Amino acid sequence: MNILEMHDIRKSFNDLAVLKGINLTVSQGEVVAVIGPSGGGKSTLLRCATTLERIDSGKIVIGGDVLCDSDNGKIHYCDKKMLAEIRSKFGLVFQNFNLFPHFSVRRNVTEALIHVHNKTKAEADKICDGLLAKMDLTAKADEYPCNLSGGQQQRVSIARALATNPEIIFFDEPTSALDPELTKGVLKVIRDLAAEKMTMVIVTHEMSFARDVADRIVFMDGGVIVEEGPAYELVTNPKEERTKKFLAGY
Amino acid sequence: MDNGILSTLTGCCILMAVVSLIVSEVWMNSLKKHYPEGAKIKKPASVLIFQIAAAFFAIPLLIEIVIKLISLVTSDQEKFISTIKLLGQGFGFSFGIFFFTIIFSLPLGLIVAAGKMSKIKTISAFFTVYVSVLRGTPLMLQLLLVYFGPYYLFGVTTGNIEIGPFNYRFIASIIGFSLNYAAYFAEIFRGGIQSMSKGQYEAAQVLGFSKMQTYFKIILPQVVKRVLPSVGNEVITLVKDTSLAQVLAVTEMFTQASALASAQVSVMPFIVAGLFYYLMNVIIETLLGLLEKKMNYYS
Repeated sequence: MNILEMHDIRKSFNDLAVLKGINLTVSQGEVVAVIGPSGGGKSTLLRCATTLERIDSGKIVIGGDVLCDSDNGKIHYCDKKMLAEIRSKFGLVFQNFNLFPHFSVRRNVTEALIHVHNKTKAEADKICDGLLAKMDLTAKADEYPCNLSGGQQQRVSIARALATNPEIIFFDEPTSALDPELTKGVLKVIRDLAAEKMTMVIVTHEMSFARDVADRIVFMDGGVIVEEGPAYELVTNPKEERTKKFLAGY
Repeated sequence: MDNGILSTLTGCCILMAVVSLIVSEVWMNSLKKHYPEGAKIKKPASVLIFQIAAAFFAIPLLIEIVIKLISLVTSDQEKFISTIKLLGQGFGFSFGIFFFTIIFSLPLGLIVAAGKMSKIKTISAFFTVYVSVLRGTPLMLQLLLVYFGPYYLFGVTTGNIEIGPFNYRFIASIIGFSLNYAAYFAEIFRGGIQSMSKGQYEAAQVLGFSKMQTYFKIILPQVVKRVLPSVGNEVITLVKDTSLAQVLAVTEMFTQASALASAQVSVMPFIVAGLFYYLMNVIIETLLGLLEKKMNYYS
């Protein structure tokens, strides 16, 4: 079953075409890494899939629900109720965490559970405790984000994204703001999620990580998908010139 | 020793005290370079001598102030006490204006800020003009307009309007102050809201929070912390600005002080009024300091 379907996605900022007809399908339990040079449209693609940007034309289906569709070049987005439904089906982990600084770690994780998903505090706390244990952050439950290292903050934000039990998680360069040592801890968490068959789309510059963890790699440049294929094969034996040139830099 | 000589002496002492203080401070600052940042600087004896000298020179000034105050009280104790009492009544009105203005202008400021940031052009234009006019014209003029406006513009007589114990003079001054301070608060809030990173909104959005929830749970609490020092600034200014209500003949403290000063041919009522204002602001400062400290649990 496909968790994410993106058909012929086009998106421009003013006159600058950033996505020029992207097709991407992610099936359940699949881990897809999106790689490519900066400005190639990776992050924009992720932001379109997570409702943070509106596309100009194309079709997006998440967990079987149609987020938007276009006919005759006119885009139609779903209504508010469906939008809320769709938003509960995915999680997003930001490059710079975007934790709520005035909430404790626990509240960061439980706030949406209680106030969006109508769980009781006890239920939310139970989910939170489980996730924090998994992230090796049990001792930090009552700390505030400013007292955590970048790696710990990113793990909290992963816990926050997982709390609502989403069908798919998007990562937008989750380790780009971290030093190599902190990166390890975050990648380990993502690796564990992959082992549990969590469906994930990861925009990343960590080539060896993408090669080892992802099932499939998508290489994007200039607003198009230049090449995609099984992770190991694409990294070790790229076919397109552009891909070879990019990977030679690593 | 006649009075003139005493004053000259005191003046010299104050000068010496200030010079000593400056020398000791500059000395301490020049030492900072030689220490690593954050390290505690050991005070050399020479600096200590200057500080002691400063304190020593300040003593005559303090003595003179105390003598003057005692003589004021003892020469005519009754007058002094009645002055305090009358000013105390006036202070009640001043505080009333202050209190109600804060109650009304803070929420109004939030609305004005939201209006100015509105995506609907007419609304944002309206509130932009509102802020521009209210910040750009004298508060005194605005008070007069609120008081006399209803009669001269619409022929409404306001003399017999009363809400509870408050007459229209008092009400008009609260309306005027609230409208004016809302404009200033609006700009402070707008700055605070716009300083919030886009990421906070986006994180809230993908977690499914509604616009209202995002605003009241995520954005506003953080904005409050950011704007607190600037709001404190305005609040303290407001305490002193309440004296402008005298143009509407509200019997607030400054009006009382003026009347008493001319009746007694003395500046004493003004000094006491000044002490009242200062005391209130010290209390406000302390409260704001505590509030800021309380919000320091995150950065």
